[in-house]
Amino acid sequence: MTNTNDRIVVEHLSKSFGSREVLSDVSFTVKDQEFLSILGPSGCGKSTILRILIGLIEPTSGKVFKNGVDITNFPPAARKMGIVFQNYALFENMTVLGNVEYALKMDKTKKADSRRIALELIERVGLSEHLNKRPYKLSGGQQQRVAIARTLAVNPDVILLDEPMSALDADMRLSLRHELKSIQKEFGSTMVYITHDQEEALAMSDRIIVMDAGVIRQLDTPQNIVEHPADDYVQSFVLDNMKLKMVSLAGFNIA
Amino acid sequence: MIEEKQKLLLRSGHASSAAVKALLFVFFTVVVALPLLRMFVYLAEVDIVSIVTSMRFREALSRSVTVSVVSMLISVALALLLAYALARSNIRFKSVWRSVLVVPMLIPSISHGIGLLILLGRNGFLSKLLGLESGIYGFWGIVIGSVLYSFPVAFLMLSDILLYEDSTPYDAASVLGIPKLRQFGALTVPYLRKPMITVMFAVLTMIITDYGVPLMIGGQYNTLPVMMYRDVIGQTDFSKGAVIGLVLLVPAVVAFLIDLLNRDKGNLSFIIQPFRLVKSRLRDGAAYLVCAVVCVIVLLPIGAFLMLSIVEHYPIDMTLTWHNFERVMGMKTSLYLRNSLLIATGVSLIGTTLGFCAAYFTSRMKSWSSRLLHLVTITSMAIPGLVLGLSYVLFFNGTPIYNTMMILILVNLIHFVSSPYLMMYNTLNKLNENLEDVGATLGVNRFRLIRDVVLPQVKGTALEMISYFFVNSMMTISAVSFLWASNTKPVSLMIPQFEATMNLEAAAVVSLLILAVNLGVKVIISLSHKVFAGKDRD
Repeated sequence: MTNTNDRIVVEHLSKSFGSREVLSDVSFTVKDQEFLSILGPSGCGKSTILRILIGLIEPTSGKVFKNGVDITNFPPAARKMGIVFQNYALFENMTVLGNVEYALKMDKTKKADSRRIALELIERVGLSEHLNKRPYKLSGGQQQRVAIARTLAVNPDVILLDEPMSALDADMRLSLRHELKSIQKEFGSTMVYITHDQEEALAMSDRIIVMDAGVIRQLDTPQNIVEHPADDYVQSFVLDNMKLKMVSLAGFNIA
Repeated sequence: MIEEKQKLLLRSGHASSAAVKALLFVFFTVVVALPLLRMFVYLAEVDIVSIVTSMRFREALSRSVTVSVVSMLISVALALLLAYALARSNIRFKSVWRSVLVVPMLIPSISHGIGLLILLGRNGFLSKLLGLESGIYGFWGIVIGSVLYSFPVAFLMLSDILLYEDSTPYDAASVLGIPKLRQFGALTVPYLRKPMITVMFAVLTMIITDYGVPLMIGGQYNTLPVMMYRDVIGQTDFSKGAVIGLVLLVPAVVAFLIDLLNRDKGNLSFIIQPFRLVKSRLRDGAAYLVCAVVCVIVLLPIGAFLMLSIVEHYPIDMTLTWHNFERVMGMKTSLYLRNSLLIATGVSLIGTTLGFCAAYFTSRMKSWSSRLLHLVTITSMAIPGLVLGLSYVLFFNGTPIYNTMMILILVNLIHFVSSPYLMMYNTLNKLNENLEDVGATLGVNRFRLIRDVVLPQVKGTALEMISYFFVNSMMTISAVSFLWASNTKPVSLMIPQFEATMNLEAAAVVSLLILAVNLGVKVIISLSHKVFAGKDRD
C-alpha cells in the first residue's frame, strides 16, 4: 500500500461455502476514480467479491484495505461504500425523494440537511420532475438513477454495481452506459462494475478483471485485453464471444 | 470509534434476532409438540385394542370414511365447476358472486347442520314443499351439510390455481388444431392433478374431523368426531376420545405431507399469460346459471335462520317478533359473545404478530434454523381441532392457564396459525431480496428497516391475517369445545348445547349473531384495505 492512488487493495482473498471454493487467492487494486469492471460468466465468483468488498459476507481468508485502512472486519455501513443491486431494491413504499432522503434522516448529523442534500442529488441525476413518484412508475433507467442517488446520499467514496443493466432491454443499456459514465465523472466516484457482458465491459471500463471459476485470468485495460489476451480462456470468453455477437448484429465491421 | 460502535450494534442486532427466533421456536414446540406427546403418553396406558375392535368404533369409522369421501368428491367437483365458471367466463359481477359463495365460511359447521334441519328436517320449510315427511337425516343430511361447509374452501383454493394457469399452451394447441376436449385431457388434467390431490385431502380432512354437521343432522348415523365429542363431553371418557383423536390425526397428517411435497413444485413460470376469452353466450349462460343456483342454495339456510328468528314459534305461530332474540340474550349470550370477541381479538393481534415474526425469519433470514421454525409453524396444520383441544386438556390440566381465556386464545392461535403464516411468508418472499442488504450498507438497522420499509409493504397481507384469525376464532367449535369454563365459554359453543334441547330458534339466532359479527369484520377489513393498503399503489 505504498501507492496513495490506490482506493481499494484486495490481498489473497479466498471464500468457500462449505466445501465449495468460490474464490481462490484473488488480489487486485482499484485506483482512485477508476471504472473497474469484473467480467466473467455466472458463477465465477464476481458477485461474491462485491459482497465481500462491502461487508455483506466475510472472506474465508485474505484482507481488504480501503485508503490504507484494513476494513476486512468492518460492518457494511462503516466502509463508506455504496452498492447498486441488479434489481435496485428500491423502497417501493416511498417516493423518489423518500428513497434518497431515508438514509440521511437516519444519520443524526445530517438529519437537518437531509431534504436539501436529497433534492440536490436528485437534481444532479436528473430526476427532479419525478420527485414524488413511486419507483414502480419509473422506467428501468430512472429506477437505476434513483438507486445511485440513494447510494450517493451517504457519500461513499466507492460505488459497487452488481450487473445493474441486466434487467434492461438492449436499447436502454446502450444509453445508460453513457449516463452511468457521466454520473461517475460528475461525482468523481470510483466504481467497481460487475458484468457478464463483454461488450459492456470493454466499452465502459478503465480496466477489466476477467474471471473464471474463482480466479483472476487477466487484469488489464480493455485495449490490452483485446490485443494481448493472457490465455486461451480470455481469448475465447472475451474476444470470440464478442466477434460472434458483432457478426450476429449483421454487417458490423470488426476492425 | 464509529466502526466499533456499529460493529457492536450489528452484533447486538444478530444476538437479539437469534434470541427472538429461539423464543418463537421454543414457543411453537411447547404449544404444539408437547401437548401431542402428552396425548401419546396417555394413550400408552389405554387399552387401544378393545376400543378399536368394538362394534361401535368400527361402525363409526367405516361410516366416517364413507360419508366423508362421498362429501369430499361432491364438494370438490362443485368447487371446480364454480371456480371454472368464474375464472373462464365473461360473466359480470364476479366479485359479488365470489363474496356470496364464501359466506358459508363465516358460520360454524354446526350452523350448516341447523340450516339443513330447518330446511329439510321434519316440518322443514323445504320438506313440506317437497313432501319429504320424515326429513333428511343421516347419510345424505351429513353429505349436504358437509358439502355446504367445505366447498367454499375448495373453491378458493381452486380459483387461485386456475388464476395462475398459463394460457400459452392452449393458444399453441388451438393453432395446431387440437380439439378442446383433447386440450382438456392433455393440458388441463396434468396441470390440475397435483393441486387437486392437495385440495381433495384438505377437504377430506376438514369433513372427516368435523362433528358439527353430523351432530346436528346425522341422526343415528354416528361418525368418529361425534363419538369423540360425546365421549369426552358427555362421559368425560378421555381414553376413547384420545384413541379416536389418534385415528383422526391420520388423514390430517397425510394431507399435510401431501401438501408439503406438492408445495413449491407447481407452476414455476413467472410470466403467466391470462386467458383471452372469446364471446360465448352458451358458456356465459351456463356460468350464470351455476353461480345463481349455488348462491341461492348458500343463502337459503341464512334465510331460514332469519325466518326462524323473527317469528314467534315456527310453524305454529308465525307472527313477527323480537322474542327469540330477547330469549337468547337472556341466556348469558351477551357474556359469551363478549368472550368470543375477546378471544377473536386476542388471537388476531397475537397471532398476526407472531405469524409475522416467524414469517420474517423464515423468509428473509434463511438458514437451517429458519427451515426448522418454518416446519414447526406449519405443523399445526396437521392437527385437527378436536385432537388439539383434547391434547390441550391433557397437557394443561392443572396449570394456571387452564380454565382461563388464555388457553382458549392459545389453542385457537395454534389451530389457525399455519394459513395466515403462509400468507405472510409468501408475501415477504416476494419482496426484493436485497432490501436488508441495502439497509445494512446505508447504516439502517434491521428493526428500523422492518418498520419503515417492510411493514408498509405487507399491510394488506397483515389485514388478511387479522381477518382470517378473527373469523375462524369467532366461529370455531372444534379446538375450544373441551377447554371452555362457564365464564369463558365462546358464543359458538352455545349451538351444540341447543342440539340437546332441540332449541332451533336459539341456534338460529346465535348463528345469525356470529354471521353478523363476521360479516362486519369482513367489511371493516375491506374498508381498511382501501384506507391503508390502497395507498400502496396509487
